[in-house]
Amino acid sequence: MNTLRQFGSKVRVPALSIFVALLIGALFLVFTDIEVLGMLLSDPLGALALGFGRAASSYSALFRGAFGDPANFSKALASGDVQLWARALRPIVESVVASVPLIFVGLGVSVAFRTGIFNIGGAGQFAMGAVGGAVAALVFGAGVIPAPIAILLMMFFGLLGGALWAFLPGLLKARVGASEVITTIMLNFIASQLIFFLVSNVEFIQKPPRIQPVSKELSQFVDLPGILPIASLRLDISIIVALISAVAVSWFLFRSTRGFELRAAGLNIAAAKYAGMGASTSIITAMLISGAISGLGGALVAVGTVKQLSPGIAGSVGFTAIAIALVGGTRPSGVVATALVFGLLQHGGSLMQVETSIPIEMLLFIQALVIAFIAAPDLTLGILKNPFRRRQVKAAK
Amino acid sequence: MSVNAATVALGDGAEAHQQLFASRVRAGLFALFTLISLWITTSSSGVQSNFSLWSDKIGGTNLPFSVPVDLLWGGVTLIFGLMGLFQFIRGAAFKWRLAIGLISPLLVFALLARLLDGTTANLTVFFTSTLSFAIPVGVGALAGIVAERSGFLNIAIEGKLLFGAMVGSIASSITGIAIAGPIAGALFGALVSLFLAWLGIRYKVDQIIAGTVINIGAVGITSFAYLRILQPYSEFNRPIGIDTIQIPLLSEIPVLGPILFSLSPYFYGSVGLVLFFTYMIYRTRWGLRLRAAGEQPSAAGTVGVDVVKLRYRAMIIAGLLAGFAGSFISLSGTGGFGINTSAGKGFIALAAVIFGAWNPIFAFGASLVFGMATAATTLLSGLGVGLPPQILLSIPYVVTLIVVAGLIGRVRAPASAGRPYDQG
Amino acid sequence: MRLELKQITKQFPGVLANDRISISVDKGQVLGLLGENGAGKTTLMNILSGLYRPDSGKILIDGKERTFRDPAQAIDAGIGMVHQHFMLVPVFDVTESVVLGNEPTKGPLGSFDRATARAQVAELSKKHGLHVDPDAKIESLPVGVRQRVEILKALYRKSDILVLDEPSAVLTPQETEELFDIIRGLAKGGTSVIFITHKLNEVIAVADKITVLRRGAVAGETTPEKATASILAEMMVGREVQLTVSRSKSHVAEAILEVKGLNVLNDAGALAVSDASFEVRSGEILAVAGVQGNGQTELVEALTGLRLIDSGSVILEKKPFPAGSPREIATAGVAHIPEDRNRDGMVKGMTVAENYILNTYHLPPYSKRGILNRKAIAAATEKAVKDFDVRTPSIHTDIASLSGGNQQKVIVAREFSRNVRLVVAAQPTRGLDVGSIEYIHKRIVEQRDAGAAVLIVSTELDEVLALGDRVAVMYEGRIVGILDAKDATRERVGLLMGGVTK
Repeated sequence: MNTLRQFGSKVRVPALSIFVALLIGALFLVFTDIEVLGMLLSDPLGALALGFGRAASSYSALFRGAFGDPANFSKALASGDVQLWARALRPIVESVVASVPLIFVGLGVSVAFRTGIFNIGGAGQFAMGAVGGAVAALVFGAGVIPAPIAILLMMFFGLLGGALWAFLPGLLKARVGASEVITTIMLNFIASQLIFFLVSNVEFIQKPPRIQPVSKELSQFVDLPGILPIASLRLDISIIVALISAVAVSWFLFRSTRGFELRAAGLNIAAAKYAGMGASTSIITAMLISGAISGLGGALVAVGTVKQLSPGIAGSVGFTAIAIALVGGTRPSGVVATALVFGLLQHGGSLMQVETSIPIEMLLFIQALVIAFIAAPDLTLGILKNPFRRRQVKAAK
Repeated sequence: MSVNAATVALGDGAEAHQQLFASRVRAGLFALFTLISLWITTSSSGVQSNFSLWSDKIGGTNLPFSVPVDLLWGGVTLIFGLMGLFQFIRGAAFKWRLAIGLISPLLVFALLARLLDGTTANLTVFFTSTLSFAIPVGVGALAGIVAERSGFLNIAIEGKLLFGAMVGSIASSITGIAIAGPIAGALFGALVSLFLAWLGIRYKVDQIIAGTVINIGAVGITSFAYLRILQPYSEFNRPIGIDTIQIPLLSEIPVLGPILFSLSPYFYGSVGLVLFFTYMIYRTRWGLRLRAAGEQPSAAGTVGVDVVKLRYRAMIIAGLLAGFAGSFISLSGTGGFGINTSAGKGFIALAAVIFGAWNPIFAFGASLVFGMATAATTLLSGLGVGLPPQILLSIPYVVTLIVVAGLIGRVRAPASAGRPYDQG
Repeated sequence: MRLELKQITKQFPGVLANDRISISVDKGQVLGLLGENGAGKTTLMNILSGLYRPDSGKILIDGKERTFRDPAQAIDAGIGMVHQHFMLVPVFDVTESVVLGNEPTKGPLGSFDRATARAQVAELSKKHGLHVDPDAKIESLPVGVRQRVEILKALYRKSDILVLDEPSAVLTPQETEELFDIIRGLAKGGTSVIFITHKLNEVIAVADKITVLRRGAVAGETTPEKATASILAEMMVGREVQLTVSRSKSHVAEAILEVKGLNVLNDAGALAVSDASFEVRSGEILAVAGVQGNGQTELVEALTGLRLIDSGSVILEKKPFPAGSPREIATAGVAHIPEDRNRDGMVKGMTVAENYILNTYHLPPYSKRGILNRKAIAAATEKAVKDFDVRTPSIHTDIASLSGGNQQKVIVAREFSRNVRLVVAAQPTRGLDVGSIEYIHKRIVEQRDAGAAVLIVSTELDEVLALGDRVAVMYEGRIVGILDAKDATRERVGLLMGGVTK
């Protein structure tokens, strides 16, 4: 029962944060609806009814997009038809697919956070990993080398691309004390420009007839095997690699001497130094690993899920990953769990966008709220628990 | 710190050593640049660069002139060579930032000349687009300086720029009054800043995390609002155009007139703000207390200065400035607000702060240099010349990276920036 | 103006810092407040300067009761505090530093009237004989001059009462003499001065009357005419029967640590340890006494690799000492119990087990080829927890949730788990409960009986006298005396601690 309690206390603040954020998001939805605002003065109750009704249907779309439509499930159960099953399961499978990049970058960022480094460059490292993987696929794929080895090479170059992109900020911070916040963000911008350049100018990469800024169809070169029995459900091995990575990171942090040093440095740099651990090495190691994991994710997602390289490959994964790392408590298991939740939100959000035309950027706002609540646990607990407790604390000051 | 600093505890020795190492690397880099410049000089013999300027007003009489490119690069080579020499001789004491600041306009100009390879380019346009980049970055940097000088690490400039842009556009469109834009933008920026300060001071949230929250939230909210409200109802996003101000007499000076004296009121406002705050920070009582709060808050606290209130006020000012800067982005030119319209200017502003060593005037100078680089990029890609557009577009960010890396060297930030102050 | 503190009491969790203390100073009088660490001087002065509020008691200025809610109010009432740790902004110049908070301004923008300020500072400096260059930057000034700036700060605010907290701690003897002249001048001019110190000679030299604090209460009042150093020392450290840790006689063997002519610089570049020579032999405990701030911290840091040695020689077991490298020193057989366990001793957020192997994690059997051996770590930690009676729910509990005593036990267990030839313990029982104190003392004596050399640095005189086979006293960076246990009476040690070395 102790473990249940421990689990409860660890989950309490993150879960509360997500819940409250969604609540505030709903309010925001209601009050940015122009029609509702217009009606508010003339027919307040009607306006609120309209507003909350719309918010409710938006959230319904969100949940159906994330988990699936119960109607579809009952139909599938009734008939047992594979196609119907595919339809019913697709939403949740796609949610898991959406969570794959989040797991990778979330893990990457959390390793850096553990060492006390704010690696905001997840997006850039992810993108460069995508470049590495895509190029490797183009070079080694399509029969040049036996497929399994091509896949491994593709992953390796993904690791390399991401690690390289994180190395520079790490080096600068260790040697010079340069703010990693700025350096990583700059590299994010540079990475997206670089991809743009590659898919617009390099014939080897570009998709014929070389008009659009995208790469060739990567699945022609390297095809990642799916893992579900139903062919049309496109969950491939990248989820397995992601989970393995989570285990690997966990193992590294808690079982290796290097990981031990990183954690110590992140918690108390003075004591770490006193115990003889080198600060520079820790910083650079952390960044290399951080970038490598994000890069691996980038390669897998580019080649396996999206199946092409384009400038928008990273999307908003960078910022989302920060939210995940903070919410997940920087423990790999927490990161995976949170990434799955965010994957659900993300995929649900796309259905929400289709059905009720609520832009998906809404989710960014919710993420920001979640981070804010996590980072100020007093605030979070205070809002819901006891508004009086805060006043007592104030008086004692 | 004091006399015998050489052999003291690990920390100090390492610091001096690092500075020396840094200066050596810089000297080496300058030497490298000298060689590269020399190569470019020799490879551009005979090439003429053709420029034109408008002599009376924008779009008016054309005044062409040309400069031999090898002459330009010869000059650059010489300067780099001198810089390398001085850096090596004087070591860590050499004012390399000043040197780079002085050479960069010439460098950009020379690069432009080389890349144009003979194609005519209008420099007036170049200068005005420099300014349109430098204004949000420069005023954003000012916002960062005021906040950080008081001891609060303000990395949410980007978010405030976005909010200022959006709110400014909406206000201007709704009211039909031009000045409503900047005012609304500024006020909203102040609100956001107050929230950030509240998180960081009252709840002691890590200031970097709090700033990141604002940035992410800003992108989310503004993009969302754009797609939900501004795009379908575009009457909210049609801000009133702001006319340029023609300064009497001065704007009629040939060549300089169109460039410097017939600009948007934003420019004059920004310059005014920069000068005003430079004076305030260095010459007034408020500035003295501000700097004390940022360097050694206990020194201020024990003489009765309310450090917490001071920081809140500084953050409000920073918000006003950043919001104002943001409104410029959507109100200059046409088209109002667009998704992610600030494109990282807030972060470049942070780099300008560092490069300008927390001095508003130097930071504005740094913003001008960034602006030149960006303007050169736009000019070149518009003419279809030279390197592919993506490389050019990356230049501001690469430059920022180099600047922040300090070309390897540490700047003195306000000593207490980022650390919450516990008053008694 | 007459200042009176009546029955001031202040309680902190676990310690009664001020116990019904009453002091008074008249106009133009110099009160010397004498006491060692923990006597309550600083708390009292923090109350006077408005940083704390007393639980009970009154502050009376010219007979009128005053309460201060913050430093600004205390300053307004005329109380000028010169802290031990200067509150100056390094990049400001003297003028700016003196007038900060009360700056003369001109014009609508509140422009800083530098000319006026400068003139005022110059005049004040001349009037009181505090020579400073108004344009010099603080960071370029030597410590003695910085102190003058602090004093000017107080005088600029027209303080009637000047409180100086251990002012000579950072001064050379000549500068101290100059300071005394300044104080006498100020007193003659009508300013009252409260002079806080632990140095007996100084208080006799400059005070008009002396109040001695001990353990949070007033231990006695006297004047320089009536008092001698011995009397003051006795008042300061008391005459109670001291606690002795029962121990067998030491079997002393060869010297393990030999220190000759050691000089160590502090962070400001000044000499913190000056020409220290001593040795610690196998099987004995050398306890170093002294008031905080006399170089003990830097001495320990030098001996444990956290600070470089400026000059002098240190020999550990006949081998040269690997200065500057904590890891090598630890490998050479030195166990270190740090003064600030929160900063140097443990990593909060890590478990008891992880802290136990904090500096041995890279060695077998705890790790092999970069991988931690969890079984070995757990087994060793379990054993240590049992041996050292550490109260913790499990070895995987976050060390931050343990009590101070148990945290220290983990640190001690860790340090003693290695092959120990020399133990360097700095304030090993600071902030601990009685039970933990006894326990730690027991383990230290065990090490000594096993043949290790033990160096304990402590500001707790009781601890020093209870444990030391020999007692050394540090004063102003020098070892001013090394006594055998039988000669180390409270009085003699107290005198040495106060700087009386005859």
